[in-house]
Amino acid sequence: MAEKFGCYICSGCGIGDAVDVEGLAGIATKEGKAAVGKTHACLCNEEGIALITGDISGEGLDGIVIAACSSRAKVQEFTFETPVFVERVNLREHVAWCHTPGDEDTQMLAEDNIRMGCVKTSKASLPDAYEPEEEFGKDIMVVGGGITGICSALDVAKAGYTAHLVEKEPALGGMVNKLHKLYPKSSPYQELQDTGIEDKIKEVEANSRVTIHIGTEVEKTEGSPGIFNVTLKNGDTFKVGAIVQATGFKPYDASKLENLGYGKSPDVITNLQMEEMAQRGSIVRPSDGKEAQSVAFIQCAGQRDKDHLAYCSSTCCMTSLKQALYLTEQNPEAEAYIFYKDMRTPAQYEDFYKRAQEETGIFLAKGDVNSISPNGGKITVEVNDTLLGEDIAVEVDLVVLATGMVPNSFPETLKTEYDPETKEDVPVQEDSGMYAEPALGLEYRQGPELPTLKYGFPDSHFICFPYETRRTGIYAAGCVRQPQDTAACADDAAGAALKAIQCVEQTAKGMAVHPRTWDKSFPELFMQRCTQCKRCTIECPFGVYNEDEKTNPLPNPTRCRRCGICMGACPERIISFKDYSVDIIGSMVKAIEVPEEDEEKPRILAFMCENDAYPALDTAGMNHIQYNPWVRVIPLRCLGSINLIWISDAMNKGFDGVLLIGCVHGDDYQCHYMKGSELAETRASKIAETLQRLMLEAERVEVHQLQIDEWNKVPQIFDDFMETLEPFGPNPMKDF
Amino acid sequence: MSVAPDKETVDILLMQEEDQALFKICYQCGTCTGTCPWNLVRNFSVRTIMHKAQLGLIDFGEEDIWQCATCGACVSRCPRGVEIIDVMRAFRKIIAEMGVAKVPDSLRMSVKNIAALGNPMGEPDDKRGNWMEAAGVKPFTPETEYLYFSCCVPAFDGKIRRMATSLTEILNKAGIDFGALGNAEKCCGESVRKAGSESVFMSLAQSNIEAFAGAKKVIATSPHCYHTFKNEYPELGAEFEVMHYTQLLDQLIQDGKLTFSKEVKAKVIYHDPCYLGRHNDEYEAPRRVLQAIPGVELIEFPDNRQSALCCGGGGGRVWMETPVGERFSELKIEQAIEAGAEVLAVACPYCMLMFDDALLVTDKEDVLKIKDISELVAEAI
Amino acid sequence: MGSQKILVIGGGISGLTAAVEAAEVGYDVTLVEQTPYLGGRVTKMHSYFPKLCVPDCGLEINYRRIKMNPKVKIITQAEVENISGRPGDYEATVKVTPRMVNDNCTACGKCVEACPVEIPNEFNYGMDKCKAIYITNGMAFPQKYAINKEACDGCGKCKEVCEYNAIDLDMSEETLTIKAGGVVVATGWTPYEASNLDTLAFGKAPNVIANVMMERLAATDGPTQGKILRPSDSAEPKSIAFVQCAGSRDQNHLPYCSGVCCMGSLKQITYVKEQYPDAQISMFYIDIRAMGYLEDFLVKVQEMENVSLIKGKVAKITEVANGNLKLEVEDIAQGNKISPEVDLVVLATGLVPSKVPGDINYDEYGFVAPDNIGIVGAGCAKKPTDVSNSVMDATGATIKAIQSVVGGGA
Repeated sequence: MAEKFGCYICSGCGIGDAVDVEGLAGIATKEGKAAVGKTHACLCNEEGIALITGDISGEGLDGIVIAACSSRAKVQEFTFETPVFVERVNLREHVAWCHTPGDEDTQMLAEDNIRMGCVKTSKASLPDAYEPEEEFGKDIMVVGGGITGICSALDVAKAGYTAHLVEKEPALGGMVNKLHKLYPKSSPYQELQDTGIEDKIKEVEANSRVTIHIGTEVEKTEGSPGIFNVTLKNGDTFKVGAIVQATGFKPYDASKLENLGYGKSPDVITNLQMEEMAQRGSIVRPSDGKEAQSVAFIQCAGQRDKDHLAYCSSTCCMTSLKQALYLTEQNPEAEAYIFYKDMRTPAQYEDFYKRAQEETGIFLAKGDVNSISPNGGKITVEVNDTLLGEDIAVEVDLVVLATGMVPNSFPETLKTEYDPETKEDVPVQEDSGMYAEPALGLEYRQGPELPTLKYGFPDSHFICFPYETRRTGIYAAGCVRQPQDTAACADDAAGAALKAIQCVEQTAKGMAVHPRTWDKSFPELFMQRCTQCKRCTIECPFGVYNEDEKTNPLPNPTRCRRCGICMGACPERIISFKDYSVDIIGSMVKAIEVPEEDEEKPRILAFMCENDAYPALDTAGMNHIQYNPWVRVIPLRCLGSINLIWISDAMNKGFDGVLLIGCVHGDDYQCHYMKGSELAETRASKIAETLQRLMLEAERVEVHQLQIDEWNKVPQIFDDFMETLEPFGPNPMKDF
Repeated sequence: MSVAPDKETVDILLMQEEDQALFKICYQCGTCTGTCPWNLVRNFSVRTIMHKAQLGLIDFGEEDIWQCATCGACVSRCPRGVEIIDVMRAFRKIIAEMGVAKVPDSLRMSVKNIAALGNPMGEPDDKRGNWMEAAGVKPFTPETEYLYFSCCVPAFDGKIRRMATSLTEILNKAGIDFGALGNAEKCCGESVRKAGSESVFMSLAQSNIEAFAGAKKVIATSPHCYHTFKNEYPELGAEFEVMHYTQLLDQLIQDGKLTFSKEVKAKVIYHDPCYLGRHNDEYEAPRRVLQAIPGVELIEFPDNRQSALCCGGGGGRVWMETPVGERFSELKIEQAIEAGAEVLAVACPYCMLMFDDALLVTDKEDVLKIKDISELVAEAI
Repeated sequence: MGSQKILVIGGGISGLTAAVEAAEVGYDVTLVEQTPYLGGRVTKMHSYFPKLCVPDCGLEINYRRIKMNPKVKIITQAEVENISGRPGDYEATVKVTPRMVNDNCTACGKCVEACPVEIPNEFNYGMDKCKAIYITNGMAFPQKYAINKEACDGCGKCKEVCEYNAIDLDMSEETLTIKAGGVVVATGWTPYEASNLDTLAFGKAPNVIANVMMERLAATDGPTQGKILRPSDSAEPKSIAFVQCAGSRDQNHLPYCSGVCCMGSLKQITYVKEQYPDAQISMFYIDIRAMGYLEDFLVKVQEMENVSLIKGKVAKITEVANGNLKLEVEDIAQGNKISPEVDLVVLATGLVPSKVPGDINYDEYGFVAPDNIGIVGAGCAKKPTDVSNSVMDATGATIKAIQSVVGGGA
């Protein structure tokens, strides 16, 4: 906490016209207990900064409150060389730009913001970097030695780091080993190319910064980012700082595609079997070994299909074109029929589509397959050709089903777990760490594997941040993350390698990774008051907490994203960060002056998530939208860090209502900590009891989801809430 | 009952145009159908025909094979670059040369006449040059600067003759040294080739190239003749330069060799002939000529230049029957009148034939006049 | 002697990602951006498919990470004129056009009221107007105004009212030389010029708009504050047609597929449905490219009421009475041409990559070829793709740039 801090109030940008800044300086020094309280016409310019830095050295200040523009503006300007705690108080976007200048309510709002800023500064401390007992490691483990894993390991090595590449098969190369050739990945996109896998394997084997662990798997991974201690099944042990999971895919089980003839005839094969056959030297009919003169390719076999794989595997259209060229290369008189739903050859792949069409033996038709039936040595494929408006039938030697990719994380057998609420066995959900097929063996209380999305892909679900899985320091890449081709896998491998080395560097400095990458704070637990309720261990979206035999939480700070959800969950309030704690926020609530009932100035407290809601409010200010001056805003790192005690504090203080405004949750969640805002909503629903004990209506607490572009809805939210509260009358606690 | 694709048929089709992927690269988007003018008056899925070709499922007895007027609208818009006209021609070649099905009667008659007598009307071939004397056109010799090729239609059709006589009047007044071959020339063969009669075309081309010996610069009245002379005759040995008459007039006007002394006060709407416009990218020379004529107010069809609507006469269809109500030429008359035109200016004998006919059928002869550009120029010099 | 720095060319989502990721590994990064603001094309989008989440959300996080990281140096209004060198040792010549607003700017907005010059607002693709001194929107970063040099008439009224001495009309053009060990080319794309599509009435019929313009109509900070209205009469559209492959997959325009327009139109269908649940919506396509598990989104839209996805490329659009549009297209499932009439047409136009002059290999379409070492392409500068893949790409490009610094690109 700041021993001696100064409060600087800017009168620029219209702040001086909206409020009495000298008065605010008085509030800072008297109630706020600031050692220094000064005003300036433009704090962000050279003169203003000099004033502050002058006082830092001159007055020996270790804390600075800057009451001016939003914390999102002028960040570099208000970053000081001497380590001081800096607290930004928003008097511009949240006060001067959206409320009536010179008005009493505007002044009261500004004063409360000053009070909150001062009490925070007096209680918070600059965090020190977390230092574990053991040394940080900067090596990277890559699990999976297919094309993605190999590329990732090489990228790690070429960037100057060491990689441990773990592959369970006796040889590297993965699925690409089974491919005969690749479709072209560069201009002019005309010719098939060699897989190059042999050269790639030689390259990684020759690289001195890559240690290859072949023919083995991970037994267990203990620890956390920077200090992962890995034990392989073959007994090898090593330490790494971050992990890339590149465990690839397995083909969809074609035995489920009997309706497409698989299993009814040996001459109905999958696209992978076609590759293997081409690799062996010639494309033949499995039934009698004769060269296949005619082949029918059935696209979307068991894909884009509710009864099989609902998704598309992205690569099969290009693959079938490629395999059709294998056939015509073998025999220019051969016929390849490709029956498709949509030809998916995006970007420059369109050139390859055209090239394949030019081949005399390749025919394409759009349509649904009516039947595939063995027919005296040949196979008759009947298709309703949409382009013709009638049925066509081909008699072919061979049928290739373009089946899809299933990520290797998809469990071989779906697991169930006991649900204490319903007292039944329920299926383990995809986003649980218990769901996926073993690969990493994480010694995490929340489960040994990466949580996955809907179809078992351990992807991140963030469009802007495709690598931010729910386990810090562990990045998924390649076909295990999403169905993609070898070029995309190589790009993905590079991306994951980057995130891995970034993680080890950040962690070694004590910094968090995405999104609070500047943050050194980490959760500290006052274990004496812990009741082993397990809320923190269960609710943390990142699995930070392990558990001992007595179910005491054991924090692993380098897994932490610093959201504070655990802090909010803890009913005993034992979790805190050096600069963000129950006491700090609680004190801010209590520092606000709530007028007495007869003054007829209601008070609403709004906890706003700093990721979407707070910027939205800033934008409302930038657009000079005017709204209700009786709202007090406290930003939170994540709405999920809301501790119910703050709501009780607010009610006890006399606030008429409390708003919780966070990011969108649900299937298409936008919450940057995955389920923070959802947890907040669930938690808040439990406050009803507490409110009733205080003789207050449950409706005095409302939860809202706000998108960052919904700044024009903010005034409405406040006004609507005021309307809801009106019939309840003022909070009777006001006058206590 | 399902039909089975047939690779052999595909191979035979592809053989008709070697070194071309033809319909193979079609990705079935339907732009051709959406663009084809036939769909203004009936149902005609060009795309389905392409797909049938792709699968070798084309029925050579289908009437639709003869529908295409080779206007080139589809080709100019096809996103894949499919030479659709060449595909149609491939079907027709197989039919006409290999006899796998019947060529429509009216077309067969015209081609037979051309093969035997060098003109589609079936007129005696020694009457071809008869128009020259009255028009003051001398016989061409290798010393003559320009060889003028009138096209069968102005040569034999009294009503369309005015295209040749107006032009030759202008050339004489401008002091151009030109002559025509008369009976020594035969039909250029352009539409014959489009109609699939490849061997007839070859023999016509051979004959004409021989007859043209010594010619260095050829002027053509018909864009069809211009097209084949320019694009198809060279690989058969032709070595002359060819221009469409509007290009020559444009040049003469710009060089000051052709001047106007009278006004032609009229709202003139210009119809882009497919074989001058889309097929050979010449949109502006004819317009410059018209705009140079004093008194002419040039107006445009709503679809012009690359998007111009065909008269319906190309691809041999000028010799075939199109039911009333299904003719583009009738739509064009309507459009011209709606645009406020008094004169519909053409630059092609087939267009003139088609529009003259449509004017009659729609009974708009006293509302709109059809004139060749050369007529308008001749009126003003 | 090589350089330890990384240069990122382009400040859109790909460039931003590359810059912030490289800085957080520990490298010094210079990010040059041609326009006055970061964020590129995504700032002009209303939402991303398939989650329908807001671009500003991810941008806010990236901007915050940048603001907190002194290793990222940003130069806006900077155009790379040439780049040469070899892995580990590059030199870029950068021309910086004067912003005429300096770092004193607090974005208070007083200058805008004073400025007398109105220009078409490029941020909204010309659909409304702004002043010669402007800021794009509330989320603009850097958060300071800019003056459009060509439009400015030098009257100085903005300077008069500025309390912070933030306006410098004498600011001159600068040429900088930037050295770097590795370079990421993330120059993004421009929308294909729709007026080239002469059969589709763009530029002639006001109610034919491009997909990028639809994004602006739907955006809260757009010209209509988020209400989708017909440009000709501001009426609420009752029938809307989405025309796919408008200029893409077309020899006559862009031969390649622009990768994102199918999903883009499906997304925009949801915009329309949200505002006008009863509107009749049709989408005319050749092949619907909803790759991977984006398929779910396609299924969702397909199952919506009053939405028809019709295979057939629109051949022609003509304006008819009342500003309506008549489409001519083959309905392939039916096998015949139809001529539906709609209120509003959205052309799904494609992406044209933006190039940087210098020692960079490009393919015949202007995309950065994948075989470049040391100078690597990222995002749509490399191949037309969506945001998620662009970010993946940019993250990977970052490590390639780092490798160039570390080992001279070996």
